Amino acid sequence: MFKRKDRKPPKATYREVWSKGGWASKLSFFLMGISSFKNGQWVRGIAYLGIQIAFFGWLISQGISALSMLSNLGAIKTKQVVFDKQEGVYITKLPDNSVTILLFGVLAVLLLVGIIFLYVTNLRATKKLYIDNRDGEHIETNMEQLKSLFDSRLHTTLMTIPIIGILAFTVLPTLYMISMAFTNYDSKHSIGFSWTGFAAFKNVLSGDLAGTFFPVLGWTLIWAICATATTFFFGVLLAMLIESKGIKFKGVWRTIFVIVYAVPQFVSLLLMAQFLDPQGPLNNILLNWGLIAHPINFIGASANPLVARITVIVVNMWIGIPVSMLVSTAIIQNLPQDQIEAARIDGANAFQVFRSITFPQILFVMAPSLIQQFIGNINNFNVIYLLTGGYPMNNNYVGAGDTDLLVTWLYNLVFGQTQRYNASAVLGILIFILSAVFSLIAYRRTNAFKEG
Amino acid sequence: MKLWKKVAVVGTTLLATVALAACSGGSNSSNTASNKSSADTVKGSVRLWVDTTQVPFYKTIVKNFNKKYPDVKVKLTQSPNGSANAKTDVGKDPAKAADVFEVPNDQLGQLAESGYINPLSPDAEKTVKANNTEVSVTGVTWKDKMYAFPFAEQAQTIYYNKSKLTAEDVKSWDTLTSKGVLATDFSNSYNFYPIMFSAGTELFGKDGETLKGTTANTEQGVNALKWLAAQKNNKGVMQTSNALNQLKSGHAQAIIDGPWDAANLRKILGDNFAVAPYPTVKIGGEEKQMQAFLGIEAFAVNSHTDAKNQKAAAALAEFITNKESQLIVYEESGQIPTDKATQASEKVASDPVAKAVMVMSKPGYSTLMPKMPQMATFWDAATPLINGAYTGSVKESQYTAKLDAFVTRISKAN
Amino acid sequence: MKSYKLQRRLSLTFRYLLLVFLAIIWLVPIVWIILASFSYNDTGFVSTFWPEQFTMQNYIGILNSQQFPFLDWMRNTFIVAVISMVLSTFVTISVAYALSRLRFRFRKPFLQIALVLGMFPGFMSMIALYYILKSFNMLNLGGLVLVYVGGAGLGFYIAKGFFDTIPRSMDEAAIIDGATRWQVFIHIGLPMSRPMIVYTALMAFIGPWIDFIFSGIILSSSGNARTYTIAYGLYNMLHSTKGSSTTYFTQFIAGCVIIAIPITILFVIMQKFYVNGITAGADKG
Repeated sequence: MFKRKDRKPPKATYREVWSKGGWASKLSFFLMGISSFKNGQWVRGIAYLGIQIAFFGWLISQGISALSMLSNLGAIKTKQVVFDKQEGVYITKLPDNSVTILLFGVLAVLLLVGIIFLYVTNLRATKKLYIDNRDGEHIETNMEQLKSLFDSRLHTTLMTIPIIGILAFTVLPTLYMISMAFTNYDSKHSIGFSWTGFAAFKNVLSGDLAGTFFPVLGWTLIWAICATATTFFFGVLLAMLIESKGIKFKGVWRTIFVIVYAVPQFVSLLLMAQFLDPQGPLNNILLNWGLIAHPINFIGASANPLVARITVIVVNMWIGIPVSMLVSTAIIQNLPQDQIEAARIDGANAFQVFRSITFPQILFVMAPSLIQQFIGNINNFNVIYLLTGGYPMNNNYVGAGDTDLLVTWLYNLVFGQTQRYNASAVLGILIFILSAVFSLIAYRRTNAFKEG
Repeated sequence: MKLWKKVAVVGTTLLATVALAACSGGSNSSNTASNKSSADTVKGSVRLWVDTTQVPFYKTIVKNFNKKYPDVKVKLTQSPNGSANAKTDVGKDPAKAADVFEVPNDQLGQLAESGYINPLSPDAEKTVKANNTEVSVTGVTWKDKMYAFPFAEQAQTIYYNKSKLTAEDVKSWDTLTSKGVLATDFSNSYNFYPIMFSAGTELFGKDGETLKGTTANTEQGVNALKWLAAQKNNKGVMQTSNALNQLKSGHAQAIIDGPWDAANLRKILGDNFAVAPYPTVKIGGEEKQMQAFLGIEAFAVNSHTDAKNQKAAAALAEFITNKESQLIVYEESGQIPTDKATQASEKVASDPVAKAVMVMSKPGYSTLMPKMPQMATFWDAATPLINGAYTGSVKESQYTAKLDAFVTRISKAN
Repeated sequence: MKSYKLQRRLSLTFRYLLLVFLAIIWLVPIVWIILASFSYNDTGFVSTFWPEQFTMQNYIGILNSQQFPFLDWMRNTFIVAVISMVLSTFVTISVAYALSRLRFRFRKPFLQIALVLGMFPGFMSMIALYYILKSFNMLNLGGLVLVYVGGAGLGFYIAKGFFDTIPRSMDEAAIIDGATRWQVFIHIGLPMSRPMIVYTALMAFIGPWIDFIFSGIILSSSGNARTYTIAYGLYNMLHSTKGSSTTYFTQFIAGCVIIAIPITILFVIMQKFYVNGITAGADKG
């Protein structure tokens, strides 16, 4: 259906292109786009040649120095305070700024990879032109090439801008972050830092952060499992309750619950923290009704860790159940009814129908999105950061509290009292590995499930 | 042959070229001092950060500054996250931070060690030393050089409802908490670490600059933790995350708070507003003065400031912390001045809040916050310890071990 | 027979009671937030459910505040939200359509790379983003739009799942009739995906109203409160002011209520599209 040329192009090796091709083909090995020019495809030719000229211009003016500085992240590592007699003030001679050196070094490497990639496509184009010429095939004209941007090469047109965005705002920052994990970038080396290999990893996994890392990791996993399971399970129940026979104004009921999810989280969670305070409204209500004798410290700095953790999961249910209710409603409405009818006739009660028919079917449909939710919960920054801020405190941890997840701890390490950028980059990588492993296992499992 | 790939690469190339050009353009401008302008005319353009709520009256101060230095252009803005977070805000990107910014003195050591701020010139040092209290000068001195211009001193005091408690009652912690309820927050180590000082321990030595000088892991330290643990069962002490509210609702008759909340407290307590220095506490069987942290608020000059603006920045920092400016700051926001003449002025001397804070700033009543870079770790480590001792999650049998671990953690040199 | 009817009625009553009970639990905190925004308070802490004293002063205060230019924040956020909505929707729909309907050599690798990139926690990219934008001198609202749009290329999963469910037969028929792929995209693909476009657009529109982290990183260094967006402005209002923050706490709640209302309404409107998107994506995995 897609106009792909089914016939395989006759083979030609680059050696053949080099030895038998004309001067233009030969020259294309050094100057990109020359053979395009020769064959009248000047739009492409200009693009290639222009890029090459621009690249070399950049390489000579900045690229080489950017790449060479990458090796040591700047030579001057320590500051120097000198007195300027003329002005009568002290001046600080600062170390080389490793942050920008690293960033632009990474960018230079990206560009280098890009140009190599482009060079390969240039060779490929040269080869194709050589073959077309050799075999007397039709050679695309400028107009045809431009038109193909809206037809056989439509993906080019659609993907160009998004890819630039992704490269600049996701790929580059991610690579930069990964490289940061191999340096000593922290509050003591905040301007000039240097490569230290795996020292930061060692520090997190067996050094002074290990005593925090493993317990926090454990809680992160427990949290992700509980948060995903509770919201999913009770969401399905709520959806079934609303969908059950005889309930009127289903839309209104759904909307009531969705409102909670719709309120921006920094509003609902920040204020929820006040709502749950020992002297807050909830405790006041409970005290007035005589349900409790003393205020309960749900999530404060000195709360009981277990109470705080349960509270966090419950509050997350408050926010998360409406979403999963919405989604399962849609699924329930589309469930085949015949099986349920059959079961009913056989005398199964509502609970049995739910347990052995409805729930498995919903689970089956939702499995992939559950995995995504699980990973989302591992990285659930908002609920913890806005609600508890990591509290209650734990005097065995470094820079983290009992409800801190890896991702909020990471944030604390960067923006908290002790700025340990390298350690937080290590955490970022470890979180990535964690998510990757889990999604790999889960996708494997669900695939097997589907096939079976 | 995929054209889109080409276009993508062209795009990134251009992007990168611009980025690199932009980067290399402005990186090295801050270092060399090659300005030849004569020393008596100060010129330049300077950016100034102050706290959000203080912007209005600093406008007045800057206006006064421009009367004296008409050639200096000052751009006054609020700091991103407030002066309490100066270290993080400046550290995020010193080149983009203001040339002159407000900072509490405990962050000075780290800022100086990182090379974010410049020391004061000898002339400025002389002026500051001559005009300000001794303790505030010590507060901004790091390794024998002054790094900031002090303008306010902060120490917490007792604010209480005088219809419920008498001045005599608040002189001792035990009578205070037996006759009334004091609401406070033990999860804030700024409030209660100083009990360690009352008990007789030192933090980073007498001078606050000795790395191995912390003596918290001693019997005195254990006594302090015992005192904290005892407060859990003290009916007159209420743990709360918002003491003001408890005071207002009448559940508490006294709170521990700083001068920054004084205006608000006057509103809440009305005619019953009263303030007093900290009481005495009974630690390890002895009656001792309860201590507070003494903080010095100061303005520092960014080392990334262009050399040609350094002089103007220093002049601005000096001016906005001089006698007249301190008085304006005091009048507008109630911050207690460090300037000796301003302290003695009638307005300040007759203010009960200022009086109480000035008593607290004396030796024996408070300990100057150390400026060690390790203070960052200190706050992180002390808070769970103090809070744990209060709540009982750190048991008495663990005190020695926990204190040892605490001291080891904050005494790391790196 | 009678008992069966009675049983059903009992069950229905019970279910209604349960629903009402749950609805109350869900709504109580929300109601409290609204009540608190009307309460007179200067201690920075609202400890009662029912305000001790009602006042409109919080709303008047926040709308007229000099230090916290709320209306400027609203305007900034609205501009950012509209621009980023238009651009992000274009980006997301383009990528989703290309990945779902077109076949090209880089498709599979792109999907895999996108999956991998999505697993890195976004926070760590903040430091780099800051310096990238700084080198363009774009630490402003424009830069914020760039960040939102730049990330939109990776948010294609739901839209792609939706395109995957539209049968291909129409495309093929059109192509046999001589239409170009561009024409198929414009005249068949886009009209059929209208609900998806609405959903994507609304999500992109809401984003700037609730993001307080990226906007904080990018906008804070200007130190000019007038250039903030609403989410960061409000967040900053609570966190940057020592002591005096207590006086502004109820104003903060009032500000929150003001912006929460339109967003909540938008969200309630689009819940249908949201469900369609999620389930369509889920079907295909």
